[in-house]
Amino acid sequence: MHQTGVRALDGVNLTIDAGEMVGIVGENGAGKTTLVRHVNGLLKPLTGSVEVEGTNTRDVSTANLSRKVGIAFQNPDHQLFSDSVEKEVTFALTNFGFDKPKIDERVSWALDFFGLDRYRKSSPLILSGGEKKRLTLASILAWDPGVVILDEPTVGQDAIQKEKLAEITNTLHSAGKTVIIVSHDVEFLWSLQPRVVVMRQGRVVGDGTCADVMLDREMLTAARVSQPQLVRLHERLAPRPDKTFLTVPDARAWITREVA
Amino acid sequence: MYWIANGFLFRRVTSPFHKLDPRVKLSISIMFFVLSLLASYVITVAAVLIAILAVAAFARTLKRVARTMLFSLLFASIIFLINFFFGLGLLHALVYALRFLAIISSTSLFFVTTSPDELEQIMKWMRVPRDVVFAFVTAVRFIPVVMLDAFQIMDAQKSRGLELEKGSVLVRVRNLIPILIPLVVNSVIRSGELAEAMESRAYGAIPKPTSLYGMKLKWYDWTVLLTSFLAFLIALYIYHSFHFPF
Amino acid sequence: MKTLVSVDNLSFRYLDSEKWALDGINFQIQEGEVVVLAGQSGCGKSTLLRCINGLIPHMYPGDYKGSITVDGEEVAKTPMRALAQKVGLLFQNPENQIFMFSVERDIAFGLENLGVPRAEMRRRVDDVMKLLSIVPLALRAPHELSDGQKQRVALAGVLAMRPRLIILDEPTSLLDPQTASELVSLVHSLNKEAGLTFVIVEHRLELLAPIADRIIVMDKGRKVLEGTVPEVLGDPKAQDYGISVPPISRLYSQLTGAGLALPQYPTTPEEMADEVNAL
Repeated sequence: MHQTGVRALDGVNLTIDAGEMVGIVGENGAGKTTLVRHVNGLLKPLTGSVEVEGTNTRDVSTANLSRKVGIAFQNPDHQLFSDSVEKEVTFALTNFGFDKPKIDERVSWALDFFGLDRYRKSSPLILSGGEKKRLTLASILAWDPGVVILDEPTVGQDAIQKEKLAEITNTLHSAGKTVIIVSHDVEFLWSLQPRVVVMRQGRVVGDGTCADVMLDREMLTAARVSQPQLVRLHERLAPRPDKTFLTVPDARAWITREVA
Repeated sequence: MYWIANGFLFRRVTSPFHKLDPRVKLSISIMFFVLSLLASYVITVAAVLIAILAVAAFARTLKRVARTMLFSLLFASIIFLINFFFGLGLLHALVYALRFLAIISSTSLFFVTTSPDELEQIMKWMRVPRDVVFAFVTAVRFIPVVMLDAFQIMDAQKSRGLELEKGSVLVRVRNLIPILIPLVVNSVIRSGELAEAMESRAYGAIPKPTSLYGMKLKWYDWTVLLTSFLAFLIALYIYHSFHFPF
Repeated sequence: MKTLVSVDNLSFRYLDSEKWALDGINFQIQEGEVVVLAGQSGCGKSTLLRCINGLIPHMYPGDYKGSITVDGEEVAKTPMRALAQKVGLLFQNPENQIFMFSVERDIAFGLENLGVPRAEMRRRVDDVMKLLSIVPLALRAPHELSDGQKQRVALAGVLAMRPRLIILDEPTSLLDPQTASELVSLVHSLNKEAGLTFVIVEHRLELLAPIADRIIVMDKGRKVLEGTVPEVLGDPKAQDYGISVPPISRLYSQLTGAGLALPQYPTTPEEMADEVNAL
């Protein structure tokens, strides 16, 4: 349960179950990032409380909570500092008190999973933008948090990188992790079909399945969130099918049938 | 620390004082500075201090300047104690301590009432090289940005288990490395982007660029300047001619 | 239409680099066009932009072959101060392009550097602030602005120098979709009403498809695709080059493949719906 007062967040009540995938949308400044910063304790609520797996965030430090909640921030340059990629991934593991054999195991797994093994001994600073993003994800997943929060993961990414990201997100979800994605990339979210929470001026103005929420044009326009292209198409078709199009092939199939 | 720094940061306030030409504001602060140094009695130093606070009040920045003074009390006390124990006598030590407070306040008065733009114009007027002026302006302009970066970096590293509030002094200093390195790296990257943007807008095209704003002394600038100079001279005369009990 | 930019067999390799960042690039840009430059990370887009505005070779030396001509002048042989008045480059992060403490002072930055007299400067700054609807922000400090506002201020600073060509490097990457659409509308109106030519590097093609005249796709330093929006987005090879083909465009291609060709190429879902409804 989350709930907070003060200008940034206003009376937010939200429950996220274990293993859920949730997308949080809203314009810049709506409070999305502020909200997720409460989940790992970076921010403590002025009024109300935030509980993660039964622990009140006021009772433990951020460093402590982060063992359970990993946040991948938007800018990798705000994190990378080690001499080598390997040490970068090791950093958090050391902080969380993993023992040496476990650290080696987790580091190898993370570098392998994200395709960064060939950079193991290289400096993180020479990596490209997309590789740096993967490195930050690797550093976080190395310690295997139960909750993973992605803060604007698709910003500045090209199509191929976005596809990989969607794959990774789905894999995490299938592995039983609770995944929270803060994003204004509605096409990306549409391809994942998570539960969607819409925020506006510090409040939650929408909460439901992806398909339901994205269809509420009035609410989304007021929140300055755009609708995915397939939804916009669906809304304007006359006549239109009851169910909205989830993928491009769905749309093609229906249109070709209707026109015939 | 924050309060002391704040005592030198410009705040956008409208007051008749702020509207003065920056050179007049500078002159007034310098005059206060000199008066502080030359005052040799507690009464005279105290008078200067009160005058500074009065001007600060007139400029609607009294709280700021007063706060700076308050937080300089620590150093002032140290100065007092050192001088006292070197055998200079109670009154003398007090004068030194008060002098310190007055110097700090007069400097604070100037910086709090002068915007960075005005500081830039003063530097140009003093014929400071263009590149130095630009470096100064850019540095000040990016202070809030770098501070924000620092907070975001701290957030990111805390989220990786970095404890910033625990441990011995040695441990805490070592824990600053994951904060400082990204901060420096980001600043270097930023400098590169700034350089590109500067080049793309023809920086350095001609030796003497023109300026959107200019400084011009108006009638009230002259009035204030002459009046304060007169007061300055009178104060000097008083210093010279009178002997005070303390 | 007059040719504003002519890129002739351009190749470039940064100093101390083994790879050629650009390899034999050829294309032209006509005055008044809106051209989108797309391609995956590392394809050379950023390098190409810097070649057009002169940062390469003036600020970044290296092995430079071929030539670029902008508005009649060869870039490599023209000093930056002249190029800055022909080509404006808006970088990705507006924060690092605003140097001064107040908005209007920053807009005047380029003009001060060129030695424009004060009265003329004042006029140009006021005009450009009116054009971009940022007059109320004139005396604000940069850290008091939102991302969208910062971007307009940065754009104003570039426009004040009266270039004929404006290059935007991933302008929407830090913006939310609504602010991004507003920017695209602004670009469109500047193009139509002020006759400015635009080259825009962008990943979010769905935002630009409605206003782009042409798309150029790059890969590994080479130009691999070039054509109108339907031509490029409809090309089956487009996705191999890592560009984001918007869902509507993919749908159009799939419908055409299934034998159902819509009369006009839709650049927005609304256009497509209208066409389908008509059938």
